Order: sequence, then structure tokens, then C-alpha cells
Amino acid sequence: MHNPFRRSTSTVESTAPQTALVTDLMAAVGERNVLWRPEDLIGYEYDATIDRRRPDAVVFPATTEQVAAAVVIANAFGVPIVPRGSGTGLAGGAVPIMGGVVIVLTRMNRIVEIDPRDRVAVLQPGVINLHLQDACAKHGLLYAPDPSSQRICTIGGNIATNSGGPHTLAHGSTVNHVLGIEIVLPDGRVTFLGSRVPDAPGVDLRGVFVGSEGTLGIVTSITVRLQRAPEAVRTMLAIFESIEVASEAVSAIISGGVIPVALEMLDQEIIRAVEPRLHVGYPLDAGAVLLIEVEGLRESVEADAQYVVTACREMGAREVRTAESEEERARLWEGRKGGIGAIGAISPNFYILDGVVPRTQLPKVMAEVMRLSAEAGFRCANIFHAGDGNLHPNIMFDELVPGATQKVLDLGGQIMRLCVDSGGSITGEHGIGIEKRSYMEWIFSAADLEAQQRVRNAWGTGDLFNPCKILPNSHGCGAGHEAEIRQHLATPGVYV
Amino acid sequence: MTTTTNVEALRSLLPGDRTRNVEDYAIDGVAPSIALRPDTRDEAVRIVAAANSAGLVLVPLGARTATALGRPLARYDVALDTTGLARIVEYEPNDLTATIEAGMTLATFQQTLATNGQYLPADPPPSDNVTIGGLLATARPGAWRHHVPGQRDLVLGITSIQPDGTVTHSGGRVVKNVSGYDLHRMHTGALGAFGVIVEATFKLQPLPVSTRTLAIECESFESAAEVAYHLWDLALPLRALSILAPGAAEVAGLPARVQVLLECMGGDAVLARCEDAIHREGATTRAPHAGEVRPGSFVTLRALAGTSALTVLRLGVPSSQVAAATQFATERGYVAWGHLAAGSVLVVMPEANTIAESVRALRAYARERGGFLEIESAPATLRAEVDPFDTPERTLVTALKHQFDPSGTLNRGRWQEDV
Repeated sequence: MHNPFRRSTSTVESTAPQTALVTDLMAAVGERNVLWRPEDLIGYEYDATIDRRRPDAVVFPATTEQVAAAVVIANAFGVPIVPRGSGTGLAGGAVPIMGGVVIVLTRMNRIVEIDPRDRVAVLQPGVINLHLQDACAKHGLLYAPDPSSQRICTIGGNIATNSGGPHTLAHGSTVNHVLGIEIVLPDGRVTFLGSRVPDAPGVDLRGVFVGSEGTLGIVTSITVRLQRAPEAVRTMLAIFESIEVASEAVSAIISGGVIPVALEMLDQEIIRAVEPRLHVGYPLDAGAVLLIEVEGLRESVEADAQYVVTACREMGAREVRTAESEEERARLWEGRKGGIGAIGAISPNFYILDGVVPRTQLPKVMAEVMRLSAEAGFRCANIFHAGDGNLHPNIMFDELVPGATQKVLDLGGQIMRLCVDSGGSITGEHGIGIEKRSYMEWIFSAADLEAQQRVRNAWGTGDLFNPCKILPNSHGCGAGHEAEIRQHLATPGVYV
Repeated sequence: MTTTTNVEALRSLLPGDRTRNVEDYAIDGVAPSIALRPDTRDEAVRIVAAANSAGLVLVPLGARTATALGRPLARYDVALDTTGLARIVEYEPNDLTATIEAGMTLATFQQTLATNGQYLPADPPPSDNVTIGGLLATARPGAWRHHVPGQRDLVLGITSIQPDGTVTHSGGRVVKNVSGYDLHRMHTGALGAFGVIVEATFKLQPLPVSTRTLAIECESFESAAEVAYHLWDLALPLRALSILAPGAAEVAGLPARVQVLLECMGGDAVLARCEDAIHREGATTRAPHAGEVRPGSFVTLRALAGTSALTVLRLGVPSSQVAAATQFATERGYVAWGHLAAGSVLVVMPEANTIAESVRALRAYARERGGFLEIESAPATLRAEVDPFDTPERTLVTALKHQFDPSGTLNRGRWQEDV
């Protein structure tokens, strides 16, 4: 039986014949923009998860028409279509798990328009998140979603996973900032959902599409809402003796009537990984730190910052530092954004999790995460969006130790279950992809999942459009739970 | 079985008397054959399933404030009054999330939240008397839209009854969640096309410390646009920023001139700063008046936007076109005002003037600027003649409708004929 989760073999046959599929794709997008030799396909077998499968071909369209043509061709040959941006996804969303054609959107990387007066930007899907941020900054504007992979991830990919980031706490996820999208439907038809103007009337197809992980179509043009950069920003570092105490402080800050724009947690393991490498000023003896940012008018920032300092102290913070300069602020953030990379430097392997719990449950859940990890004999590093209750435990291990991988996978399952049992969810921002399909049944009933399947049916994607993603037990996608959660095993260099 | 006997069967479906006077539930002058107000979700499930298997058309109704929205119904047998489902299911103030039943009014919900210094930042027309289900099903923006996150942004999950009586959930109760397809977004703004919303979970916000309503009188629409833009660019903590044509200003209790009306929120120091900015702006433009006005101005306009007695249109235009679009509508004899950040311009037409041609002209105007026109309220004849929505993508909506409501049990005709 064919196993969709097998690893590709290392042998490559560069003498493989050029198929009719490849010839047709070349005719549509140009010979140079199609990869088909096995050795050329290797880089497109995987994303930031570990499982892989070789696609039949990879195409690099430059226009909406070329995307549509590639979709039509793949349909005609009955092979799956998998859209892909930079491949930073942490749920296997861009892994061509059933083979087929990978459509890479990175050539469509033009910011078409930034209209500071209307506060909208129109861009192609391959635009890198940070490039958009930089372009907006010239106008004193900002695009709020800022996933930690923003230096490399594409806005098209952000739409696929409804990406978050530290500033989601105050500004919301990607879906709250996307006004309209041009998409190529699974039959090759091109349509536009939403509008350049907010709140287009009628059924919110735009809202259904964002976060659909490439299963409903391919985004070819994006209109986003921009906002005025705040007048003042204050970034603070609150230092605590333990992750549990810091967790208590999170709820206390938010329930007091001030919602910071970001409220991030870094625990001792992370601090000890980050500080020696990046020298950002995190105290090595701290149990945990909270990175807290408030913004607004000068007057309110002053008051809000004061409130945060007081609240942290009352909740047991040993010290609360305030960034005195833009440089110092940037350094504090550098530690946050480089945190996951730093784990890669101290552990041969690590298993990155993405779960959400109500923030009042954080102290209990974090204590339990640490207990479970210790019990299983692993070190666990935590760096996450505490204000949103969005955890990212990273379990460190060495896959060369016999049995370690299995134990880590079991531990990951226990932690996910803990999130669900605490009233939470199995993913806050990474998505379901292939890695978490089995967990879907933990949070949705059979009827709920059937309703979700109906959305897919309405879009007419059949089994060809990014197959075996999101929904469990899709036709022809059978795979054991264990095989699926193996996807969690992250490689160094991933981001959260 | 005839429709009459089917309806009779519905009557005896529930214990006690759940029927209500059908005349109170008339839509476009047509009363249903039966109106039922269930007390529990289970009762609602039985009504929906029975209507579906009997081939009846059911219309879920809350406060009934937006019944002139969408195309006229193709058929109307059963009114399902959701106001009996009005419990708070779960409210954890420290999580800033709440799960409530859909028949509760926004006003009641806000009262509960206010005791903890929190609120749901939504100001839908006509008032807080709308139900939560109606708030979501209509998804009408108000003056606060795009200054603070609105209902679309804050809904975390929805529970709905499918036409066959199956109860389904989407999303969850946590503030950040990307698991599966967001069916709650599909239900938001869908006018009950895909299921009867019975419960919803929202992310909440802290109530502002205080708010202040301010206005600047302007010489012209052009100068109002400039003033409004200047204030918007200052990144003040605004909750509303609108441009009012003289007619709308009069309704709002202000002198009948072009006005920039805004609401600021924050503590004393912040409000003082806002007020100062408005005074400066007034001095620069030599405005006859610039400063605080009565806080009811927005409330009055909101009520007018939500009237079902007159024809109300919502134009969506880019922010830079809000003043011009307001002027365009005013010059045609309508009462108009616009919200800058949301790019929405409300146009109220006197009955006599409500002809399809006028609506089409305004729609063409909005479309030329990359926007749209939605009919928020109008006589049934007009809504049959001119598509109340302005959505180019119909195929997917039809496909979704066939997937979720293949027999056309829910609100048949609201979207397209027979859909």
C-alpha cells in the first residue's frame, strides 16, 4: 500500500523522462519556470516541518493567468495542486504529501500600490511580510500582523494560515487586516472576494478563505488595510522568579483594563539559549521574563506603562526594566524573534508545539507542561504569546537516543490534550496542515467536521487541491496518528 | 400533506404554548403561517428540523430590526423567534471572553459586561436593542468600525442549527485559534442563509475610561475632508470620525452645516489632548464652532441608519472619497453622512425619491471608485428590482447554500431568487 508519509529516498534519477504534464506546464509558464528533474525537486519536498514527499513538478508563475493555467493543467492531468510561499509553515501545509504540482508564488513579489490616503496596500502573494512593513513605514503606516518569520514568510502564506504574531494581542490576526483577495479557484476560474473597501456586503467569502491553508484556491492579489503607526511606544521587560508567577501576572495585567499591544513570555531555558548568543540583556538567573509593549498617545502610554510596571510588581516581578531607546527596544525584540533559532543551537532536535488556552488557565497549564516534560525526562523551552494564551513549548531531545523521538511525540500529544482539556485549542497560529488533522476530533464533533467538509465541497476542490490537509480522514489520505504527529518535529531555523 | 397541516404539526411539537401572534412577525407585509418562540435550544432544533422535513420555509428572527435587508423572501411559513434563547453561557472576565445565546439583546449583554468594566465594541444600527444573532447575521458596521475591532473581528466561535436539526460549532472560546475552516465567518453577514445562529463567543474589550463627542463646523465638504484627514493622521484614540452633510448634522442636533463629528476615548489627559487638537484644527480652519457637543449625536444618526421606515443605502468607498460621496448624495437631495476609516457612507432617501434609477446611479458612483452599494432598508419592490447586495461572486454563495441548506428551508430568496 502506498504510504503518503514515507520519506523520499536519497537516490535521484536525473534521467527521469520529461512528462506531458511538464511539457504543458512549460508551455504555460515558460520552460525556465518549471522544475521537474528529481534533483531539482528536493527543495520543494518539505516546509519547516520534517516530513517530505517529492512533487511531480514545481512551477513559478509570474501572473494570475499563469497560475490559472497551471491549475487547469494539473486538473486535466488529475494531479494534486499545492500552493507554496516561502515554505516556513509549521504544520506541513506546503508539503505535497500526495505528490502533484507545487505552485510557488515567490516570483509574484511586487507591492503594486501603497495608498497612504486610503490606507490600503495592494500586493502580490509572494511579497515578504517585512518588505511590506518596511514599505509602509515610509508613509508612517504599518501592517499589523508580524509573525516571527516575517523576514522570510510571504503575505500569501500568512493568508493561508491566518498568521498571527506578537502584535495579534491588540490588533488581531491576518483575517482582520485583509480587505480583498483575488483568487484562482480549483477549476481555474479567477474571482475576487471582499473589496478594496472594508465590510463588503454579503456572505464573507473572504473571511472563510483566509486561514483555509491553500485548500480552497490560490491567492494572486491581496488588498490589505494599513494603520497609522502609533505616536509613542513603550517596551518593558518584567523579570520573574518562575514561569508560573509570570503567568499569573499575564492575566492580572490584561484584566486590569489595559491591553498591551504585545505580551510575550520567555522562560529560563530560552533566556539561557538566547542571551549568550544575542546579548540582548535578559538576566540569566531569571525564571521567566515578560516582554510587554504598550502604544498610543504619549499621555496614555505613560499611564499604561506605569500601570504595567505596578501590576507586574504586585504580581511578584523582581524587576521591571523599560527600554530607554529605540535601540534598546529593538534589542529586546531581537531576543524574542531569535529565540527559536537559539534553541536549535543548544539542542540537536526540538519539537515545537502550538496550543492555545484561556489566559486565566496559563499558570495551571504551564505548571503542568513543565511537570509532564520533567516526568518524561526532557527539557522544555517556552517562548510564546502569553497575552493570547498561545503557548509554544519546545521539547528538546536527541533523535539519536533510542526511543527518544517516540517519547517526545507522546509528550507532545499529552500537552495538546492538556490545552484542549483546559478549554483551549490545538493551534493558535501555525495551522492544522497535515500534522494536526488527528487532533481535530478532539475539538470538533463529527457533525462539525462534516460542516467544514461542506465548505470544501462548495469550493469544488475535490481531492486535488492541497489534499490531505486540515480535515481528518479525507478520502485516500489514511495515515496513522503517530505518522501525522511526526510532522511536529521541527528543524533548526524555524520561527514562531 | 398540505402546508396547513404541516404548520399544525409544528404547533403541537412543543410543550405549552410557544406560538406567537403571526402579525407581529410580518416581513414586507406578509405574515408567516406560524410564529414560534422556543425556550430552549432543543426546542429550536425540533422546530427547524420539523420545518425542514415538511418543506416549509423558516425565518429566524431576533429583535426584527433588519427585516428589510436582502431580497424579498420567496416564501415565508415559519417565524422562529430566538429571543427566548438569551442566557449567558459562560463569562470569564479575566479572559475577556464570553459565550452567550443568540437571542439576548446587545443591550443586556453590554449591561452584564459593564459590571466588569468590559464591552463588546459594536454599535450596529439602529441601537443596542438588536440581538446577538441579528448582530452577527447582518454584520452591519457602525460609526466605530475600524477604529475599534468590530463584531466580525471579535467573534471567536458560533453554534448554529443546520436545517436538518444538527447542531454544529465552529471556532472555540480562546482568543486566537486557526483550527479548521472558520464557519463563524461564513455565518457572519449571511442573513441566516446557512443555519440558525443560537450561540456565539466573543473576544471583549475594556470599556474606555471615558469618552467625549466633539465636532468641528466646516465651510465645505472639501475642508471637512481635510479636517477629518488631519485628525485621523494624528493617531488620536478615536472611536468614531465622521463627516456629516448639513441635513445629517441637523438630525444629529448640530447646526445645519457640514460637520466633522468625532468621539475620543481615554483618560483625562488623553481627552484633553484630543480636545486641544480639535481646537487647533478649528482655529486653523476658522471654524464657527469646534469643541464638545452633546454625546447623543452619534446615537441619533445610528438610529436613522437603522430605520426600516425609509430607504437606507450604505455606500462603501475608499476613505479618500467619503466626503465627496457624502456630497454627491446630498446634492441629489438625500440625507447623508460618512465614516472615514470604514469608508462607509449612509444615505437616507425620502420615500418618493426611492426609485431604482437613483439607487443604480449611486451604485455606479461607488463602483467607479472601487466600492459598492448595499441596500440596508427599502420597500420590497425596490429590493426585488435592484440587487440589495453588490457582490460579484455569486457562484460560491450559491454552492455554499446548496451544501448547507439544500432544500432552501432558511430564508429562501434572501440571497438570490430561490437561494
